[in-house]
Amino acid sequence: MSADASFFQWVAFIWEQNWPLFLRGAGNTLLIALTGTIIGFIIGIIIGVIRTIPVDHNTTTLKKGILKVADILLLCYIEVFRGTPMMVQAVVIFYGVAMVYGIHLNPISAGIVIVSINTGAYMAEIVRGGILSIDKGQFEAAHAIGMTHTQTMTSIILPQAVRNILPATSNEFVINIKDTCVLSVISITELFFNSKSAAGANFRYFETFLITCIIYLIMTSTVTRILRWLEKKLDGPSVYTIHGSQTVPEAQFRIVDGGKLHG
Amino acid sequence: MKRTRTLLLAAILVLGLLITAVGCSSSDQPGGDPAQSSDTGQNEVFNVGLECGYAPFNWTQLDDSNGAVPIQGTQEFAGGYDVEIAKIIADGLGRELVIVKTAWDGLVPAVQSGTIDAIIAGMSPTAERWKTIDFSDHYYKSDLVMVVKKGSAYENATSIQDFSGAKVTAQLNTFHYTVIEQIEGVEKVPAMEDFPAMRVALESGIIDGYVSERPEGVSASTANPNFVMVEFAPGQGFEASDDDVAIAVGLKKGNPDREKINEILAGISEEQRLTLMDNAIANQPSAE
Repeated sequence: MSADASFFQWVAFIWEQNWPLFLRGAGNTLLIALTGTIIGFIIGIIIGVIRTIPVDHNTTTLKKGILKVADILLLCYIEVFRGTPMMVQAVVIFYGVAMVYGIHLNPISAGIVIVSINTGAYMAEIVRGGILSIDKGQFEAAHAIGMTHTQTMTSIILPQAVRNILPATSNEFVINIKDTCVLSVISITELFFNSKSAAGANFRYFETFLITCIIYLIMTSTVTRILRWLEKKLDGPSVYTIHGSQTVPEAQFRIVDGGKLHG
Repeated sequence: MKRTRTLLLAAILVLGLLITAVGCSSSDQPGGDPAQSSDTGQNEVFNVGLECGYAPFNWTQLDDSNGAVPIQGTQEFAGGYDVEIAKIIADGLGRELVIVKTAWDGLVPAVQSGTIDAIIAGMSPTAERWKTIDFSDHYYKSDLVMVVKKGSAYENATSIQDFSGAKVTAQLNTFHYTVIEQIEGVEKVPAMEDFPAMRVALESGIIDGYVSERPEGVSASTANPNFVMVEFAPGQGFEASDDDVAIAVGLKKGNPDREKINEILAGISEEQRLTLMDNAIANQPSAE
């Protein structure tokens, strides 16, 4: 490569020389960010459901006690993992576990665990917000017909709450794709670490990081698109007839042979 | 109520499974369980931590040319002066060399926790670092230089005092950063995370120069014609103790291998060191 080559010639040359480095790094980034966010989402849902278990005068003292303890523990978890940087968590968990217990975790698995519990702490609050956004009347109606808290959650509240928190979840995905770059301290060769290696070898920084930028943008925009599509799918068609409506002729109940009701 | 308890139980189970899953996958790792091997007194592997991004001391490459060693958990290879020294030490100890690519800030906690056995990453045995980890004898000694942009006012500097009023920085947590204060009237820019960051800062004009060591300076200025290395006349350069300008192998406090490693290092002649460094400078990826 001649010294007077243009900026874009350098970009092309660096890509040609290092593309496996970039792609493997991007692979690790995606693996950790996506798995971590999905597990974090599940942790968030579980915590959100536990933290919204209703307490009333019928609740036994034992259950009240358990709920109180669970609530305090979960609150501690959320405060600690939401309130400290992920890089610090990575160093403390990965090297701390090795130092105190002599357990040497696989870096990638450790990375997934760290991203999961970190995202779980954020998602717990996002899910709680989603559950609280559902009208209180729906909880009361569900309880009035004898549904348990789990039934209320799985059949009535969560399907609506999850739809409402999808935009926030999309944020978490994007943030995690970018934030996994701090995991290089625990030997994870993700995209940014590998880009730094490439730049450290060829001494061409802007050119190398331009490629890195493009790869990050492709990853984040793809994930955003997929979640946008999921949102649309969950919304269903925008034109529909209300079941059993008395003002729309097609939706009226009709008695047919055999006495079955048809919409 | 029963449902609630089932749910709680399920949540605990899921978390438990998660932890077990991690435990399982960690034991699958090829040759990556230094604690277990040291517990049983076997120690067949020698885990060495480095950044693989500080040419010519260490770098990442895609094939095993010029004696590069595979990086654990990746498909890439590590080459450079540090890697050559690591190979000699591992040979001398009769253990298999494993290269663990770790960011600079992760190296000290990694060696303290036993995740790696040694840091061979161009690290200087400064007094501050001695407080937390042990070091072997020196395996390289270099001079401090300044890397500046070509055509800048500082290109022809001969004394560090010529940098009065210049914006100068160095790598975070290195002694390079502390010596900047020897320049009177210098504008000390906050330390940067690593060399890539400083080179970007220099190229974009955020800083006028960064403190470095000769091999890095030679490599940077050969690879990128926009950079010039400034060497200082004797007595006009930075004052630093031998421990600061030399580099050594970082080890966990009380590591019993220290004596043995010192013996091995003593067996490498000054000529051999120079040859290894010259080869590293010639073989680094940017020299192609």
